[in-house]
Amino acid sequence: MSTAPNQLLADDPLEPYPLMVGRPDDRTVTEDVLRPIWRPTRKGWLMLVGLGSVGVALFGLAVTVTFAVGIGAWGNNIPVAWAFDITNFVWWIGIGHAGTLISAILLLFQQRWRTSINRMAEAMTLFAVMMAGAYPLLHLGRPQFFYWLFPYPSTLGLWPQFKSPLLWDVFAVSTYFTVSFLFWYLGLIPDLASLRDASKHRWQRMVYGIFALGWRGSAHHWRHYRIAYLLLAGLATPLVLSVHTIVSFDFAVSVLPGWHTTIFPPYFVAGAIFSGFAMVLTLMIPARRYLGLEHFVTMRHLENMAKVILATGLMVDYGYVMENFFAWYGGNPYEAFAFWNRSHGPYAWAFFTQMTCNVLVPQLLWFRKLRTSVAVLWVISILVNVGMWLERFNIIVVSLHRDFMPTMWGIYTPTWVDWSLFIGTIATFGTLFLLFLRAVPAVSASEVKELRRQLDAEAAGGGTHAVPHLSQTRPEAS
Amino acid sequence: MPSMSDRPSLPAPSDGDRSERPDSRAALPKLWRNLTELAGAPSISPEEIPPEVGELVHLGRRGFLQVLGGSAAVMGLAACRPPHEKLVPYVHQPVEVTPGTPQAYATAVAIDGLATGVLVTSYQGRPTKVEGNPAHPSSLGAIGTFEQATLLDLYDPGRARGREVLGQPFALRPFLVRASELAASHDADKGARLRFLVGPSSSPLIGDLRRRLLERFPRARFRTWAPLSEDARTEGSRVAFGQPLDPRLHLDKASVVLALDADLFGTDPEALRQSREFTSRRNPGPDLNRLYVAETTLTVTGGFADHRFRMRPSEVLGFGQAIAAALAERHGLAQLRPLGHSLPAGSPHLRAAAAVAADLARSRGKCLVAVGPGQPPAVHALGHALNAALGADGATITYRQPVLHDTQTGPDGLRELAAEIAAGQVDTLVCTAWNPAYSAPADLDFGGLLRKVPHSIYLSTRQDETWARCNWKLGATHPFESWGDARGRDGTASIVQPLLAPLWETTSEAELLSAILGEGRSTYDQVRDLWRSRARLAGPAFEQAWSAWLAQGIVPATAEPVVRATPRWEAIAAAVGAVKLPTGGLEVRFAPDAKVLDGRFAENAWMQELPDPITSLCWDNAAQVSPATAGQLGIDNGAVVKLTCRDRSIEAPVWIVPGHADGAVTLPLGYGRATTVPQPVELDNKPEPLANGIGFDAYRLRRSTAFWFDAGLAVTATGRRWTFAVQQGDFAQEGRPHALSYTNGDWPKQGTHEVEEHRGPQPVIIEPVNYDKEAYKWGMAIDLSRCTGCSACVIACQEENNIPVVGREQVQRRRQMHWLRIDRYFSGTAEDPVTISQPVACVHCESAPCEYVCPVNATVHSDEGLNEMIYNRCVGTRYCSNNCPYKVRRFNFLDYRGEMEPTEKMLMNPDVTVRVRGVMEKCTYCVQRIERSRIQARVEGRPIREGEVKSACQQSCPTEAIAFGNLNDPTSRVAALHRDERRYDLLHDLGTRPRTAYLVRITNPNPELT
Repeated sequence: MSTAPNQLLADDPLEPYPLMVGRPDDRTVTEDVLRPIWRPTRKGWLMLVGLGSVGVALFGLAVTVTFAVGIGAWGNNIPVAWAFDITNFVWWIGIGHAGTLISAILLLFQQRWRTSINRMAEAMTLFAVMMAGAYPLLHLGRPQFFYWLFPYPSTLGLWPQFKSPLLWDVFAVSTYFTVSFLFWYLGLIPDLASLRDASKHRWQRMVYGIFALGWRGSAHHWRHYRIAYLLLAGLATPLVLSVHTIVSFDFAVSVLPGWHTTIFPPYFVAGAIFSGFAMVLTLMIPARRYLGLEHFVTMRHLENMAKVILATGLMVDYGYVMENFFAWYGGNPYEAFAFWNRSHGPYAWAFFTQMTCNVLVPQLLWFRKLRTSVAVLWVISILVNVGMWLERFNIIVVSLHRDFMPTMWGIYTPTWVDWSLFIGTIATFGTLFLLFLRAVPAVSASEVKELRRQLDAEAAGGGTHAVPHLSQTRPEAS
Repeated sequence: MPSMSDRPSLPAPSDGDRSERPDSRAALPKLWRNLTELAGAPSISPEEIPPEVGELVHLGRRGFLQVLGGSAAVMGLAACRPPHEKLVPYVHQPVEVTPGTPQAYATAVAIDGLATGVLVTSYQGRPTKVEGNPAHPSSLGAIGTFEQATLLDLYDPGRARGREVLGQPFALRPFLVRASELAASHDADKGARLRFLVGPSSSPLIGDLRRRLLERFPRARFRTWAPLSEDARTEGSRVAFGQPLDPRLHLDKASVVLALDADLFGTDPEALRQSREFTSRRNPGPDLNRLYVAETTLTVTGGFADHRFRMRPSEVLGFGQAIAAALAERHGLAQLRPLGHSLPAGSPHLRAAAAVAADLARSRGKCLVAVGPGQPPAVHALGHALNAALGADGATITYRQPVLHDTQTGPDGLRELAAEIAAGQVDTLVCTAWNPAYSAPADLDFGGLLRKVPHSIYLSTRQDETWARCNWKLGATHPFESWGDARGRDGTASIVQPLLAPLWETTSEAELLSAILGEGRSTYDQVRDLWRSRARLAGPAFEQAWSAWLAQGIVPATAEPVVRATPRWEAIAAAVGAVKLPTGGLEVRFAPDAKVLDGRFAENAWMQELPDPITSLCWDNAAQVSPATAGQLGIDNGAVVKLTCRDRSIEAPVWIVPGHADGAVTLPLGYGRATTVPQPVELDNKPEPLANGIGFDAYRLRRSTAFWFDAGLAVTATGRRWTFAVQQGDFAQEGRPHALSYTNGDWPKQGTHEVEEHRGPQPVIIEPVNYDKEAYKWGMAIDLSRCTGCSACVIACQEENNIPVVGREQVQRRRQMHWLRIDRYFSGTAEDPVTISQPVACVHCESAPCEYVCPVNATVHSDEGLNEMIYNRCVGTRYCSNNCPYKVRRFNFLDYRGEMEPTEKMLMNPDVTVRVRGVMEKCTYCVQRIERSRIQARVEGRPIREGEVKSACQQSCPTEAIAFGNLNDPTSRVAALHRDERRYDLLHDLGTRPRTAYLVRITNPNPELT
């Protein structure tokens, strides 16, 4: 069942776009959501996966070169000892934030528009955190000893240094990945059971059956599922704030001008949500069209995400203003120079591109016409991610390249390995996402059904906004 | 076939009685393990060892062990050649060789024939470190970059080796026969067609060989060639005094010093002593001395001067004459009147000349004028006249007979030799001079002429340009591998003793000359016989004296006596009046390079990677111009220009140097090389010549008649560009209080108050660790008033701490590994900048930003306050470097030490870990030296004494600018300097509490000129 695009638009400008176009029955929902998985492989998907695989191979090559030659294969130097590696790490971690925010915080706040986008956003989070996690490992001078960063009872009687923010990173990122993965997987279980039941081949039934963990849709299952889901949401909620706070400590805890800033934690969290939602938009706009799920992921969803981008973008702008204000008002000449250098130094192009992408471009979202245009949204979402990448580049590379001692100032120039790793992680991320779209439902069928019942109940009962208990609105799936 | 492919072997330390291995078994009482054995029964029951075992090897157990022991002993004998020649370790070290304990041997390194006494640290026959010999008058305990760098040359697998005669390899004995045959062919005409081209030498041994060679071949000739010849200096004294005399500056006695194009603290052969003497009076107060420098190129000396007057090379004479005129007219030194000549009105140096003259006149008897070797003899003569008139003679300057065998070492002698070769009058040329084909003036075309000589014998440590053009090629023995002797500039003789047996099949200069003489005696015997006769000693008295000479590193009472010199005023006036200087157009000045000197260190990776003390260029030379001249020519840094001078042209990239004289271009010598290296089959990695393909060859513009500078240079841009490898990022302090400097006038009135703000611990939330109760609290102090920026400490640190070189491309990527760097800042105008040098290594912060960010505890603090780096715990996150405000941490981005040849491994200091790829490293305050002293102190049951631990940088420093020691010892020098009112802490406002303190630089400008 597909809907013509013009039907997606509400006629009354004061009326919000519908959360769901039409009121498909449970069977239609299941069929619509599962269709992309059962239908034969399409050429476009194959070509994209092929392209992605080339990128994955490039990533593999760059990783091999890095391990074989050493960090010297990159452009890093003294003073710029961190460059693309940590820039990409922070960028990917930031991107990962939208998933958890959508799945956990919006669930707790009973935002119903999260329902049809949370699966994709969570998957994106997982893949982004995987990409992010690769960098701290790759950037080690001696990656074979990465496990020294974990507090394990070593025969040397040595523990890691608990004062180091890098150690906090290890905990933060690994916790984040674990919780995000559990959350995503738990939400998948009813749909995996649907897939198992609808499988036409024995091997499909086997595979989905194993991952469905014996889900039969009994009331007990739903009850436990509901409790676990809420608990995980509660666990994940602080992580949305803590992970990027801790990542920002990598910088804020140091003495380096441009890093040593108390505003970093909130500013990083806002930036992370900003870039995360932008990445969700970047992926979801083509995905909903490809999957034919435009009646589940409606303009309402896109517009809401645009609003989140606008709001977090303004927080980020506030961060920029405050950062520069402190640099001036604080009277520390080193810090004043660091910020002056961003706009006047050799990397001024990066600064101005960042400002354009992160400050000016999101202001277009004030206009309803623009934020409800799929094409405009898509372009803006990409620009925001370019801007957010450059923001991290400016914080890391530009602060480092001219710090306290002018005699040790230097310029950082990335090598082909740096670029290959960056492009390689984007390609790996994209490939994983494409495989995800083919293997599991990109929209949660069970939750959409639940939403449909709520909407029906509202229409019948005169607009109650309370979420009915799941046991009462149990869909008939599986 | 000679054994050219012999693997280098560790030579045995020569302590005299290695070959005696008494068989201890015979002396032992009968040993038994149990009562059965004691009773005479076999102690091992037959069941334990099956009888077949004995049958199979046809040997009993005892027999087997005897054979085993015997073969082991024989193999051991083969490895330890009994030494034929006795070396004596430095007197303060124990005589016995203890494994793991280094010994220091005193010897000397001669550069252009002038010796600097050194102590070489040696671990079981492996020299690893060159240090200055405090007893030697040219060292006074300090050591320069070049002397230290010779050690890297020693182990270089790219050294020339073997003996090749007309394309055939020769072993030693056949070669000796061949050489004596060749010599015999010259007997008929008494050597009329035999010529020697040698480097400058002061060695009595070489002098004796020369004398005997000339006895046998009276018509043979010796010519001496040095690309950095000091002929003008010698000629100047001949003009002034009627005889060649060697002036010796006593800078410690001079209050006012005027250097006319003289790089007193840089490339001067006596730079170590002169730096020490000059800075001995570099303390604030009325006794503070003053240095004026008039020069073209900004040098180490110019950067250290209180006043620097930049001028073209041809203007220096006029400046000197103006001073003479002012002294004659205004200060009553009438004898200078004929020499004086006022500067033309409008000259920028009018005021300077008057002020300098007044200052010199005020300090009569306590001043001196020094003239550099690049100035013509007339300027030297003028300098002698000024010194005589100012009463400097005998007070701040003394004269001695030159110690070199040939006073003429410059292009004139070479020109005569070239004419003889061109005329076909030379059948055999024995060349031991350094690379004349490359370094000879371009107009002589010496390289081309060499091919005309039927037998051209070349002895060299490198397969250089001359090597390729000669037909008898001999790899030269390194001075650390052979016996010899040498004299310092004042004549003090040192016995050069070898540190190890030659690593490769090589020949020494003395061996070559002996071979031509047909003598079979070893060099060791020759040196000893010579000195036995010179000392008029024999038997045990001589042996005792010999041991003492070797132990001390000098032969006492061998300095040349001071000669009374009377200036010949008319001759000086005539010379000054008659001098014709090249003028017109741009002037070109040929300068020794601070890194490769004249090119002989071009293959030395340490020197190539050492940042130039002024330009900070690594692995390159550049045509240096002033900002104004560059503007006029429309060129910028890195532009490749074509330099044309009198029909010769070269292409060179440009580097703009603040403070360079306008209208002149400085071309450092020694680059643009075309050498080859031997490709021995036994090496895994074929060595490659380092110096090829970098820099440009300035010798191609140098003419024998305009040896040091010339005029009429044309510069045209080629449009191409060259990317330099520059160590330093920015040369301005950017308004930051990093290297503080005050004038004698502002200090202490204004300065002390301001410096207060840059000192003392900052209040912090967490209570800092109190180290005052520890027995030792190590700290350092660096006096910027004394630091000339000569960079000796950088090489010392590299040598001591096994610091790798990374190469030109890695330097461009800013990955150089020097633990200690010299920051140089320019301030003031680009035309006349103030230069200040600041050595920066890890300052060992008491609350170190690097430590708390390391996730694996790889950098931690010791009880004594050292910021320690644990290499084998480091995983290489590089966070510590990011958080180091001083940016002194160095990261092994690549495997810089992965592929060392066996000889290169011998260079490694065994007390210092060789770091692997992916770990961070930095200055350790030479912790290995602290620990060695601690062991010694504990053995003797006493605390470590002040002065016992010297960091490598401190030890090398010619000016004693670096002090290191225990801050908890109130009597230590470093504690005193930490209490000094000039002390400040770098970036102290970050609360890092650095253990290295800096002392504000105090300059002494002339109030009349400010």
